[in-house]
Amino acid sequence: MSEGEYLHVVTRDDISDGRRQFGRLIVWVTAALTILVAILQVLDHRGAIDLGFESWRPTLYAYCTWIVAFCWAQVLVHGEQGKRRLFVVPAAIFVVSMVIFPLIFALGIAFSDWNLSSPDGRQFNGLDNVRQMWGDPFYWNAMTNMVWYCLAIIVEYAIAFGLALMLNSQIRGRKFFRVAFLLPLMLSPVAVSWMIGKSMLEIRFGPVSRLLRNLGWDSPSFFGSAELARFWIMAMDAWTFIPFMMIMILAGLQAIPRELREAAEVDGASPWRRFWEITFPLMLPVSITAILIRIIFKLKLADIIINVTSGGPGGATDSVTSFIFREYRDRSNVGYGTLLAIVYLVVIVIAMTIVMKLADRWMRPRY
Amino acid sequence: MSRRKLLKGAASVGAMAAASGAIPMAVLADAHSNLRAELLSIPGVGQGSPTDADWQKVGELTLGPTKERVQEGEFDGIELTFMGLNNQNLHNFLFRGFLKPWEAYTGAKINWIDLAQADYNPRLQQAIATGTVDFDIIEMGAPFEGDTAGKGLLDEMPEWVKEQIEADDLVDYLKEPVGTWDGKTYRITIDGDCHTFAYRTDYFGDGGIGGAEVPRTWQQINQVTKDLVGKEDPLTGLPAHGYLDPLKGWGGFGMYFILNRAAAYAKHPDDPAWLFDPDTMKPRVNNPGFVQAIQDVLDLIEADAYPTDQINADPGTTAFQQFLAGTGSMLMWWGDVGSSARTSDTSVVGDVVGFGINPASERRYNAAAGAWEEEMNEAPQMAYIGWGVYVTNRVSGDEKKRKAAWSAAAHLGGKDLSLWTSAYPSGFQPYRNSHFQFQEWEAAGYDRAYVEDYLGSNADSYNHPNAAIEPRIPGIFQYYSVAEDELAKGFAGQYGSAQETADAIAAAWEEITDQIGRDSQIALYKASLGL
Repeated sequence: MSEGEYLHVVTRDDISDGRRQFGRLIVWVTAALTILVAILQVLDHRGAIDLGFESWRPTLYAYCTWIVAFCWAQVLVHGEQGKRRLFVVPAAIFVVSMVIFPLIFALGIAFSDWNLSSPDGRQFNGLDNVRQMWGDPFYWNAMTNMVWYCLAIIVEYAIAFGLALMLNSQIRGRKFFRVAFLLPLMLSPVAVSWMIGKSMLEIRFGPVSRLLRNLGWDSPSFFGSAELARFWIMAMDAWTFIPFMMIMILAGLQAIPRELREAAEVDGASPWRRFWEITFPLMLPVSITAILIRIIFKLKLADIIINVTSGGPGGATDSVTSFIFREYRDRSNVGYGTLLAIVYLVVIVIAMTIVMKLADRWMRPRY
Repeated sequence: MSRRKLLKGAASVGAMAAASGAIPMAVLADAHSNLRAELLSIPGVGQGSPTDADWQKVGELTLGPTKERVQEGEFDGIELTFMGLNNQNLHNFLFRGFLKPWEAYTGAKINWIDLAQADYNPRLQQAIATGTVDFDIIEMGAPFEGDTAGKGLLDEMPEWVKEQIEADDLVDYLKEPVGTWDGKTYRITIDGDCHTFAYRTDYFGDGGIGGAEVPRTWQQINQVTKDLVGKEDPLTGLPAHGYLDPLKGWGGFGMYFILNRAAAYAKHPDDPAWLFDPDTMKPRVNNPGFVQAIQDVLDLIEADAYPTDQINADPGTTAFQQFLAGTGSMLMWWGDVGSSARTSDTSVVGDVVGFGINPASERRYNAAAGAWEEEMNEAPQMAYIGWGVYVTNRVSGDEKKRKAAWSAAAHLGGKDLSLWTSAYPSGFQPYRNSHFQFQEWEAAGYDRAYVEDYLGSNADSYNHPNAAIEPRIPGIFQYYSVAEDELAKGFAGQYGSAQETADAIAAAWEEITDQIGRDSQIALYKASLGL
């Protein structure tokens, strides 16, 4: 007995033109209705017309109606294949509601003059925010800082590699050191900023300051100048995340077949040569992955800066993220802050695409 | 004797007297003064910082006025949300303790929204802008009345509350129009803000490293501060420092510190306005008086006169971790430094601290004439006009909830409770005429000279004819936040000069005024100045 005798399966060939057209019609009609209601709501919201809408529920209801119609239409138009398509619908709704709609909304905010203190609320202001960003030296200073903060990853990588090599060798207390070196990674950057920035390096009572004073340095300063403050921000961030790189590299080192190194050793290669010609090249894929992930972490660097310096002195230590945060929080500039966030997102996407393409090229076998 | 027994006793005496026709007022007054004395002995000056148990005890002892108007359990099932500060372990921490007995008696429950000072303005502004006011009671400063009462977000104060809190007792500068908007009253005052001058007495006098006389002008302060570089603090043995300027932004509150200097230079006695031109709202923040104030700070930075890292010290640090802990010799701050100096665990300067009003300037800038005048000028700054407790319109439609909210607020604004908050670390300073009865403070353990000095600095500031009154206009903290951001950049050397820094602030202020609406701002600014 075939499947069709148990179940009524509608294939594409069974669907009449009329049914198909009806299916398409309800999708387009409900879509048009949704757009119309949304436009009316916007006009009502802006006071151009008065339909008495008190909330955005009518648009939400119209959107829900469109989703139901869309699902129904899939079955009407495509039959059994349409039923299978319905499995995608929850994900599609989620993406539209949680990604596409917020992005469109954020774009709307980015091109408006919206300060929370303003009684006028949100006003479209064209490219004013872009012009402001272009002429904002403190934003570009934050961008420059980001470059420096990211370049510091090279140093972090070198230290992490060294530590990984050490923990991969037969040293006494290896297990203890592995746990000890991992501890900073288990702390949140907020805790690190308080433990180190606000406690250890505190000028009056901090133990480091006291030690330096006992050594004859009258006025130790850790965050008093732009250069020093940037250095300590980088150091605290590095202290937190070097273990992350270290553990990735250590995992990579342990995956290298021992025979390779032993063969090189038998051939009389020096330790230095063994490192450069065997270990390091084999570690490239892991290293690049670790560096890429670290760059992604670094691009979000904000918590340590906000806690320790609030971007100071005078914005000298700001990362783009902390700058955007302060623009939102301290100055309530939602419009400008949103534009900066979107621009930063675009910059990150472009930069990461280039970096990943380059990384891909480096990692490709050359034979 | 417990408060209950005390009240029982007082009530029986009253009843007997009423029956007999005798006059029991002296006895009742005595009972009341016993209550105030009992309050001030919690925990007692020199007994360390008060704890949660102390705050609850104070709340219990001051429940009398509530019990006169609310039945026990009357607010059973009611929940209220209270938004306030939690900085320096004060404000909301105290309110919790004060209101615990109130909750137990009335049956209401309070949910708390605690905010750090730097988070306070953004949170409030966001709630206002997005229409998401999610609190029934709010601790708020008068400068925000333009943003809240002006937008109809507050509930008007019922008459019985005015009686309960004895509003007539407020010092004059906190009476109307403060707390009112369009003729309606919204605020229960719980604080009386102004900045006063605090200095270390061991730095000055014969043989003092700061000189024989306490500086009385900003010019003298700047000079002494520079002269102290390289000397040793007589109390701690650490490097000596003169005046402490908080140099880092503080969500808008940091602006008050540069305004202390600017007020002396730029607040002219003939002109109540000083931040803006009242006819045009053109900022005065970049006129020569304000520029001089900024230049003073730049000169002290240049002279390495501040403690290391001052430029990145959190503002609360300046008073509580620096001045009270023995770093620096001069400071302008709110009055809680005075009560904390003697009663906080973190203070080491209680025996060597003196007070005064905002120092004068040897010359003043006349904005109307556009010229400097070689005249001595004093101008205490009424920074923030004090915290108040307000009830939002979320409760307006529900009489029972409304009564509960106002009852809680009135409990916090009670006359006797306020005496305690004035005398102990609370974040609040004296603000009622009844707070200036020196003998009450003496009975609590303060010595007379200290109290006269401390309370005198507050009273002299409140009553000064050239006091720089803060405007209650919408967006005032937006102006301040932008200004302190630009100042921080200027202090870090990111602008070419004091004038350039001031011009950046003025340009930002012009933008804000245009954004909010110049005409309405002019009208409200004039109204706030009584013009």
